[in-house]
Amino acid sequence: MSSGGEKGSTTAKTPADFLKSIRGRPVVVKLNSGVDYRDMYNTGGHCPSLQHIRILACLDGYMNIAMEQTEEYVNGQLKNKYGDAFIRGNNVLYISTSKRTLADGA
Amino acid sequence: MASEEESAVKEPLDLIRLSLDERIYVKLRSDRELRGKLHAYDQHLNMILGDVEEIVTTVEIDDETYEEIVRATRRTVPFLFVRGDGVILVSPPLRTA
Repeated sequence: MSSGGEKGSTTAKTPADFLKSIRGRPVVVKLNSGVDYRDMYNTGGHCPSLQHIRILACLDGYMNIAMEQTEEYVNGQLKNKYGDAFIRGNNVLYISTSKRTLADGA
Repeated sequence: MASEEESAVKEPLDLIRLSLDERIYVKLRSDRELRGKLHAYDQHLNMILGDVEEIVTTVEIDDETYEEIVRATRRTVPFLFVRGDGVILVSPPLRTA
C-alpha cells in the first residue's frame, strides 16, 4: 500500500499530493520578497510582493520552481516576462492554480 | 511540452545546469539585478558569474514634492561570487533554437 495518491490526481490529500497534481498547469506563485522591515520609504513601495503567473514546469523538495512563459507582476502590474525562470524556493509564499491564463494583475 | 531540450529538465536546478556558460539574468533581494555569464553554481544557488552588470534600483522621495525618484545604478564587475540566499529568480537566455 502506497500511502500517496493511488491514481487520484485530483483528490489531493497532502500538500505534496497537490504539488504533484499541478505539474504542467498554469499557476500563480506569490513571493514574499524577503524583508519584513522594508517600509515604503526605503523601497519606494517596490515589490512588497511579486507574483509569477505561468506554467509550472517542475518543482523540488525545496520548493524551487522552474516555470515557463513567466510573467512577473508587482503590485498587480506586469513588470517583466521571462521565457524560463527558476525561482528559489525560500521566496515562495504560495502556489496556486489559475484557471484564467492571464489573470489581469492581482 | 515535448520540445527537445525540455526533456532534460527533471528538476528545477536542471534549468540552471542548462544555463552554464550562458549569460543569465539573476534577480536578487533588495532590488538588485545581475546579468552575467554563469561559470558555476551549487545547490544553494551560490554562483560564480563573469562579466557581470549589476543594476541596483533605488527609490528616493523628493523632500518637497514627495515624488518618487527611481534611480538605476549600474556597475560592471569582472567576476562575482553570489551567495545563494540572496537569489530570488534566475532566468536563462531564451532557448528557442
